[in-house]
Amino acid sequence: MRILRFVGRRLLQLIPVLLGVVVLTFLLVRVLPGDPIRTILGPNATEEDAAAARERFGLDQPMWKQFLDYLGGLVTGDFGTSIQSGGSVTAEVAVRIGPTLELVVFSVSLALVVAVVLGIWSARRADRVGDHSIRIFALIGNSMPEFWLGLVLILVGYSVLGWFPAPSGRVDPDTNLTPITGADLVDAVLTANWPAFGSAAAHLALPVATLAIVIVAPLLRSVRASALEVLHSEAYVAAGAHGLRPRTLLRGYLTRATMVRVPSLAALVFGTAIGSTVLVEYVYSWQGFGQWALRGLLYRDYPVVQASVVIIALAYVLVFLIADVVHAILDPRVKI
Amino acid sequence: MVDLRAAGGPGESADTAAPVKGRGVRGGRFANVLIVVGATILTVVTLAAIFAPLLANWGPEEIDPAANLAAPGGSHLLGTDSNGMDIWSRLLYAGRLDLGIAVAAVALAVVVGTIVGLVAGYLGGWVDDVLMRLVDIFQAFPTFILALAVAALLGNGTVNLIITIALVNAPAYARLVRAEARSVRELPFIDASVTSGSSTFGVLWRHVLPNSLTPVRVIAPLNCGWAMLTLAGLSFLGLGVSIPTAEWGAMISLGNPDVVAGRWWTSVPPGLFLLICVLGFSLLGEGLQERADAKRR
Repeated sequence: MRILRFVGRRLLQLIPVLLGVVVLTFLLVRVLPGDPIRTILGPNATEEDAAAARERFGLDQPMWKQFLDYLGGLVTGDFGTSIQSGGSVTAEVAVRIGPTLELVVFSVSLALVVAVVLGIWSARRADRVGDHSIRIFALIGNSMPEFWLGLVLILVGYSVLGWFPAPSGRVDPDTNLTPITGADLVDAVLTANWPAFGSAAAHLALPVATLAIVIVAPLLRSVRASALEVLHSEAYVAAGAHGLRPRTLLRGYLTRATMVRVPSLAALVFGTAIGSTVLVEYVYSWQGFGQWALRGLLYRDYPVVQASVVIIALAYVLVFLIADVVHAILDPRVKI
Repeated sequence: MVDLRAAGGPGESADTAAPVKGRGVRGGRFANVLIVVGATILTVVTLAAIFAPLLANWGPEEIDPAANLAAPGGSHLLGTDSNGMDIWSRLLYAGRLDLGIAVAAVALAVVVGTIVGLVAGYLGGWVDDVLMRLVDIFQAFPTFILALAVAALLGNGTVNLIITIALVNAPAYARLVRAEARSVRELPFIDASVTSGSSTFGVLWRHVLPNSLTPVRVIAPLNCGWAMLTLAGLSFLGLGVSIPTAEWGAMISLGNPDVVAGRWWTSVPPGLFLLICVLGFSLLGEGLQERADAKRR
């Protein structure tokens, strides 16, 4: 019951922030230079053509009217019509979100597992050679441009060794995969299409590795820091002094106490992952949400920009909320 | 909601905050090593960028019509790109732009963020509410996404890039400084200063500001590295400097199609330079952080 009240209060606090995001993107996209109509019509269009196109997308209406229409659509989940493609923005989002989620979820999970294992291992050897090498590795990972890492992996994995498929597409079209969710690996399992599963996994390997390496570095540092904190806590020292078996100490006292921090770390890392995904998708020609949003931005496609900005903000703040709730459930000391 | 890569991660300080015998000395020595290595890297890169005309045998945008995508060797130490421009020379000149924009952007972010944070934290009340709600809106986005949107809306150009990166980073500083200013405000000597007739500006400038900057000093170097990565990322996507300006991210982008063909020299070296430079900032920042934690103990 207390958790529900907490969630309710936090959701209420989100409303002004999200409303601010909606208003600001709506205004900025229109006030700053750049005209989507001109970009779709090309240089030879007459003034009449432009006026007609403007009318078609409702851009001839006064600003307040456009905003009310936009808000009205938002309430019913309708993000309007893309100026660039002429299709429904909501439908385009539905197609694009699966491939991106596939990439982000796999990378973040992989990074979390590696970070927890290595972070705890490193903390138990604090200030010894193993620990220092892990810290240096994390610093290097933290300083690496993800798009460059992606190119290096393509160079080694595809151009030189030829172990992985070319960085274009997400699954071999010859496998006739029926799209359901948009996440190819999941679709392959759902339709029991095993050749497609293998192909999707091979295409997924390098992008996931790229994203995971970039994400694991900051995570590793944080896990190591919180494991050290636990190692030096009175509770842990007391448990050790009682002569508990090393395995019980490691599992019950160190790992569990360190894991309490993981949800909030995962939420923070989720933000880094969304940003990096745009670059990684670009490198691997991954037709996901990031590529779509980027093209919308470049062509100043108002409905696409508005939709992608609002969706990313919503996802980001909701992930933080979920992390806080999970943290509260895991850690009885948290007062909510 | 600070970007984890940007701020070095929460709880980093927990590392050395724990009172353990003997760790202080070794931890301190490691911190010094980090600072020295980081500072050395940055000095070398800065010097290389400043003295680029002496070290480079070609101009940054000079085209060699006889050499298109030439492999490393001969008069082109690291080969040429698809325009016939010398990679090694461009690498050196690019350092000027990359370092310059990153440092300028972080400096601007520190100034703007500090002013907002000081005013909000010291005055409190509705000013605080309004400013912090604005900060909330900015922080409702992953930082790179925000940078992407702002850069796309503002358009190309050096000044716009500095503004973009500063704008994206300022909210984090505002939040940091505000928290410090709020605690400094409660200290007795501030009351003493106010009672003895100092103006609000005087108190802010002479007392609150110097006492609120400690966390900023530690975060700023880390942030410079992150700013370089953001700048390169934006340029890679075509939202940064205009082609064919020598900039590491733009160079990687230009070499992007060569990678599939197995030509490594157009995009691997600029990324390596970028990595080393950012690593310099990270090492420096990490060392400063560790030292600050050790002092606090």
